[in-house]
Amino acid sequence: MTQSRREGGVLGGRKMRRRDFLRVGGAGLAGATLLGAAGCGGGGSEASGNVVFAMGVDTSGTLQGLVDKFNKQNKGSFQVTYREMPADSGQYFDQLRTELQAGASEIDVIGGDVIWPPQFAANGWILDVSDRFPESERQQFLPAPIDSLIYDGAIYGVPWFTDAGMLYYRTDLLEKAGFSEPPATWEEMKEMALKTAQDTGTKNGFVFQGSNYEGGTVNGLEYIWTHGGDVLSGDQVIIDSPESVAGLETERSMVAEGVAPEAVSTYKEQETDPAFLGGTSVFARNWPYMYALASDPETSRIKPDQIGVAPLPAGEGGQSFSGLGGWDMMINANSQKQDQAWEFVKFMTGEEGQTQRALAATLLPTRKALYQDPKILNEVPVIRLGKEAIQSTKARPVSPYYSDMSLKMAEQFNLSLKGDVEPAQAVKTLQQELTNILEQAG
Amino acid sequence: MTTATTEKKRRGGVLREEFRNPERRTAYYMVLPALLIILIVAFFPILQSINLSLRQATIIQAGPFVGLENYKEMLENPDFLEGLTNTLIFTVASVALEFFIGLGIALAINRAFRGRGLVRAAVLVPWAFPTVISAVMWRLMFQDQVGIINYVANSTGLVSEPILSDRTLLLIGVILVDVWKTTPFMALLLLAGLQTIPGDVYEAARVDGANVWQRFFRITLPLLKPTILVALLFRTLDAYRVFDLFWALSNRELESLSTFVYEGVRISQLQFAQGNAASVFIFVTAFLIAIFFIKVLGMQTSTEE
Repeated sequence: MTQSRREGGVLGGRKMRRRDFLRVGGAGLAGATLLGAAGCGGGGSEASGNVVFAMGVDTSGTLQGLVDKFNKQNKGSFQVTYREMPADSGQYFDQLRTELQAGASEIDVIGGDVIWPPQFAANGWILDVSDRFPESERQQFLPAPIDSLIYDGAIYGVPWFTDAGMLYYRTDLLEKAGFSEPPATWEEMKEMALKTAQDTGTKNGFVFQGSNYEGGTVNGLEYIWTHGGDVLSGDQVIIDSPESVAGLETERSMVAEGVAPEAVSTYKEQETDPAFLGGTSVFARNWPYMYALASDPETSRIKPDQIGVAPLPAGEGGQSFSGLGGWDMMINANSQKQDQAWEFVKFMTGEEGQTQRALAATLLPTRKALYQDPKILNEVPVIRLGKEAIQSTKARPVSPYYSDMSLKMAEQFNLSLKGDVEPAQAVKTLQQELTNILEQAG
Repeated sequence: MTTATTEKKRRGGVLREEFRNPERRTAYYMVLPALLIILIVAFFPILQSINLSLRQATIIQAGPFVGLENYKEMLENPDFLEGLTNTLIFTVASVALEFFIGLGIALAINRAFRGRGLVRAAVLVPWAFPTVISAVMWRLMFQDQVGIINYVANSTGLVSEPILSDRTLLLIGVILVDVWKTTPFMALLLLAGLQTIPGDVYEAARVDGANVWQRFFRITLPLLKPTILVALLFRTLDAYRVFDLFWALSNRELESLSTFVYEGVRISQLQFAQGNAASVFIFVTAFLIAIFFIKVLGMQTSTEE
């Protein structure tokens, strides 16, 4: 009897508490959801009136300084906020694409990679600035960066800073082997590399980026261009040509003739740096940033005065071309503050903005005039030494479907470099695949 | 009045029986929020994926209905087939190796010896590293300039080219790294299972004159079967969906089913529909593998059998 009463009492009590618990729990859940929704909604809006500028991580530390300077000059009218985006270019692209596609981005000005403009413009996500940026103004900039911003006859941004593939070489090693000038053709380079490596006991003649990734596409394209071939002509895929085959054959011969190590087909920039800066290579193809690394004893066993920089060699009877890299300024087509954004863009790409970035961060300017500026030429050696390379850059194929094209090209160039596929076959396969991509796109 | 009506009462009556009982009813109400969340968070994206995979989908829009065309294109895509082959070889090889080595380790540390706790903790160290970090670490060891493994392999003549540049060698390398990483996990799962086998069974067997092999095959293995099946299912599904190991170690060279999905959905502009179809494919086949384990191999899913 006592048992049942206790049971009844306990059960009864528990049941009451259980119902209370349900009520409290339900209310709590509903409250949490409301708070969450309110929080998400509230956090999105920026302090109104600020122009938001998105750019990847700035390792030089100069970007915020420039933004602050602009804000000081414009105190009272509007301010700019620098929103840091992922350091990895691919991740940054993904994030931008997600935001722009949802149509709900707060970003007004985009600092973007030079291969993005056509992909964004085709979807209508960036602003056509043809009327704000007339032909006369465009003449003041280097031609290749301008080309990278033109889509369907209109221009979609302003070049900011540029990058170009360059031939690095060891002046001291070449001297020892009896050479005083950098090579002008690929054949010459191969001869010089082999002889110098032998005479000086250096492990590698030449290192470059041959791995299956975006940089591999750029390297492969450089070989094709310097032999007179090209990928796109307007909307036509023209990669299937004897010139392209010659280019890829030259790339393959680097490994086949022992000028470059076999593993170069797995190299990216991170592998090229230690190979050249560690002193184990006579020549290297890399971007301008590697020069700055040479002055730091922590990253380099050789010193800047042992390094020379030259434009890339050309194929027989061809012209020297360097792969164009770099960053452009674009404006979000849905921005509510287009005029103010344009003011900011003009400032950052103006002579002052570019000079500052060149001096403080050794980033290459895109304005032609700055390549005559004695101060810049003196203080940023890679600009003086690499002037020719920088001025002969060529943009990667301008297409809204460049990402897909690049995936295919990187794969075929890598297979051709490894010797798994004949260069002639690789070129034919690419002609087919790239044409398919453009047809699919419609 | 007989079986027909009682069955009908049982069928229709189960639901009413459940809900009439106030305790049971409260239980259902308490589970309801979690169920709703699972439905919204898990089922909705799955259904949406299936929906998109039947359409000509791009990143921006769902597109017109095209039926199974995406799946057909996907099955004809050489990259997908390569990913499928690599994934299957990887799954079978790594799970098999992990199982045998893990079982050996589990049997070894099943006996009580001094320092056993320490050994068990130490054995877990490879498993504790985030996969991406160990992938990058191993990649450095396979690399041609600074890699010790590449150096040894090439100088002893085992291999004649840089490990990272050959797809077969890469696959072997990836399998070995996965075995290095996950064998401890297998070993510990199997060890937990071994410890549920009471010692008296072995005593009785020894008294009856059973030798080591007979004890192992007649006692250990059958009693360990539930644990083995659980461990195998976990590892098989994990290995089937491998992404970070392939991506980080081979730097995009080696294709697996998941890297194919990633490339299609995130990197490419035009492969979105195929990537999506591939992700549904992975979901369905993983589900089928789980069902195979449960129904055909007789894996236990609850303690009431």
